[in-house]
Amino acid sequence: MRFTFPLMAIGLEVAMIVLFGLFVQYETDQNFSQQPNSTKSPTVDVDRYLDLYPLFQDVHVMVFAGFGFLMTFLRKYGFSSVGINLLIAALGLQWGTIAQGILQSHGEKFHIEIKNMINADFSTATVLISFGAVLGKTSPIQMLTMTILEIAVFAVNEYLVVEIFGASDIGASMTIHAFGAYFGLAVAGVLYRSSLKEGHRNEESVYHSDLFAMIGTLFLWIFWPSFNSAVANAGKNQYMAIVNTYFSLAACVVTAYACSSLLESRGKLHMVHIQNATLAGGVAIGTSADMANTPYYAMIIGSIAGMVSVFGFKFLTPFFTTKLRIHDTCGVHNLHGLPGVIGGLASIVFIALETADRSAMAMQAAALGSSIGTALVGGLVTGLILKIPIWGQPADQDCYDDSVYWEVPRRTELDMFSRFHEHGNHNQLEPEA
Amino acid sequence: MGSKYQKSVRGPLTLWAFMLEVTLILVFFFFTSYETSVKEQKKLMRTYRDFQDVIIMAVLGLGFLNTSLRRHCWSSVAFNLFMLALGVQLTVLLDGFLNQLSLRKMVLNLSSIQISTMSATSVLISVGVILGKVNLLQLLLMTLIEVTAFSATRMVGKEVFNMDNHISMMYLHVFAACFGLTVACCLPKPLPNAAEDKDQTATSPSLFAMLGTLFLWMFWPSFNSALLDIPDEKKKALFNTYYALAVSMVTAISVSALAHPQGKINMTHIHNAVLAGGVAVGAPCYLIPSPWLAMVLGLVAGLISIWGAKYLQVCLQRMLDLHDAYGVQYTFGLPGLLGGITNIVLMALQVKWTKISTLGYQILTDSGAFSFTIIMGMGSGLLTGLLLNLKIWKSPHVVNYFNDQTFWKFPHLAVGY
Repeated sequence: MRFTFPLMAIGLEVAMIVLFGLFVQYETDQNFSQQPNSTKSPTVDVDRYLDLYPLFQDVHVMVFAGFGFLMTFLRKYGFSSVGINLLIAALGLQWGTIAQGILQSHGEKFHIEIKNMINADFSTATVLISFGAVLGKTSPIQMLTMTILEIAVFAVNEYLVVEIFGASDIGASMTIHAFGAYFGLAVAGVLYRSSLKEGHRNEESVYHSDLFAMIGTLFLWIFWPSFNSAVANAGKNQYMAIVNTYFSLAACVVTAYACSSLLESRGKLHMVHIQNATLAGGVAIGTSADMANTPYYAMIIGSIAGMVSVFGFKFLTPFFTTKLRIHDTCGVHNLHGLPGVIGGLASIVFIALETADRSAMAMQAAALGSSIGTALVGGLVTGLILKIPIWGQPADQDCYDDSVYWEVPRRTELDMFSRFHEHGNHNQLEPEA
Repeated sequence: MGSKYQKSVRGPLTLWAFMLEVTLILVFFFFTSYETSVKEQKKLMRTYRDFQDVIIMAVLGLGFLNTSLRRHCWSSVAFNLFMLALGVQLTVLLDGFLNQLSLRKMVLNLSSIQISTMSATSVLISVGVILGKVNLLQLLLMTLIEVTAFSATRMVGKEVFNMDNHISMMYLHVFAACFGLTVACCLPKPLPNAAEDKDQTATSPSLFAMLGTLFLWMFWPSFNSALLDIPDEKKKALFNTYYALAVSMVTAISVSALAHPQGKINMTHIHNAVLAGGVAVGAPCYLIPSPWLAMVLGLVAGLISIWGAKYLQVCLQRMLDLHDAYGVQYTFGLPGLLGGITNIVLMALQVKWTKISTLGYQILTDSGAFSFTIIMGMGSGLLTGLLLNLKIWKSPHVVNYFNDQTFWKFPHLAVGY
């Protein structure tokens, strides 16, 4: 770890700088003056820049704070969750800029705008979603490799969906959420550790780690309307995307709480459901966010997504772990995978109800299929590459433990807190370590 | 109430939540549509920024503000989100119906949704008084009643007392505090020794509460200026809130140290008193002509708030046997009262220079509107409190007050229950 990780990270960074030098340019005044109607366009574009920058920042908050803290629920894996999340996102946004730019400009030099930055943040979101599936079972070196491979596959799939199929996926339910989730599941399936079949003693949460995860949930919940509307057309479409996402999220919260209470004994709530299922509405409305022009449609999708997500956590995750040998640490399949598929299907249903345009419906279906297909194939290949024993994988007993890769304080506050609890109240004993 | 075990809310909670959601979807289906005219992009983005600041305050700020108790953090944060989600959907409908006073189709736009979100925060404020003593089912009922009562109050204020949107919204703090206080009076009181044990604050929960406080503190200027349309007034509101908050922060920390025998600062005071300035300056913020007035108001609000935390808390507990665990009364109640009175005085002063004859009438309507808000808060609070005491809500036993284990499944932490 001491030499391989720094060497690889610095090597990748140097490669990024070289690629940026070769391909990326800023938009400057000279570029504008070449255009015939140069008198008006610069001011218009500056306006658009100022409009988009806040949306970009919201997406940025979601990627760095939201996804980072959402994964801090494991009791000994908080440093890695936030720290590796930051590393992946920082590397991924550079690589995402390059990958998407080159595909769109067909290998020419290209200019970057705020929109490129938003799209680059989107591409890192896929890796972060997949990271959730393999959380605790990989080394930082494996994550670097996965970032590079996954974003390359993502860029190809997105190009396919948007440019070739011409499908509409404004909030990226299919291209980001479903793609990221199924990619992560495929990787997790290949990297399955049969010795951890019975679970790992560190794979659990404590009171305060769950509260930290709640910070991530709330950040994601707040800024989800920006995520779904960031690349929408200015004006009416953007407005619809914002409002639809908001109503979908609100409806999703209500049904998620109701289902969580229904499924647990004595009507108690389950923190994992609250952290994750409350966000499913935002994922599911993504594809049709700018299509629906009445709120009830968004609310129905949100309600269904909330229910499906909670049921997924309760029944599908155990099934995946025991029967399919896919261990999904954060349950990304229930938060991103299933709601993403619902989003894709909802857009097909919506088009069928509104316009009955068969070719558009077929394109949406093709987009959904290609997202899941490329994700599974890409994930399997990536998983096989990551299985080669040169990446410094953690040993089975070292999984879900920060101390393998981080300097950790010898006595954490959480330990002291739980010890305090043991003495203070015998109701709240921790199981024997 | 024989058994001290928590009665199961499994059936009723699910049933109520689903029924409500289905009803809401149906009503939305029949009575709402989006604004269809293509909006100007700049204006849309500006409204969206305001809108989002309000949501940050409601979800993150108010959610984490009430997490200072050792064993009641999960419920504080998560119940907050649930109530907001439900409250917003309901308020959007209520505001639409009450504004047009008929059952026509209403048109939703971003600013109307923002106003509804702000109205819904009244529930999040008043819940601070009773949090820990009620279950989610009771909170669901409370959300329904309080949201309805507050929307009705605002509508009556607008029609009868001629209040503008901004003022009626800024009376939200007082309304919510009165509502919460009255509800808490009706609920069974916590056991004195149980409260002592579980009421304790601890280091990490206090830090989480600080997270909420800071987010509220940062975004308060947006909240106070959100409903003002005239640019000059909006600007004044922003500046005044900003300075009042800064002053109340300094006052709160210094007076908290002064009030302690060894000069130590109390974290609980900080959580609440730093926000007092923002609450106090809420209603009159667009009338205050110069920053020093706002700063004085912030100073007074900070003082009142610390005084309340130090003495009124004990006094309330002794006289009314009322337990206000998160200090809603002196974070929102007292400073809100101060703000309301300041607003009436400032409005009167403004009139004086133009028409002396209408002065009396002006003061009368303003104070009438203000006291109407308080009375509505107390009345609807009383109704809610009485309803919540019914056995059908399966309220938690007093032994289980302030304990997350009553409401949450602990897969790894806890044995028993």
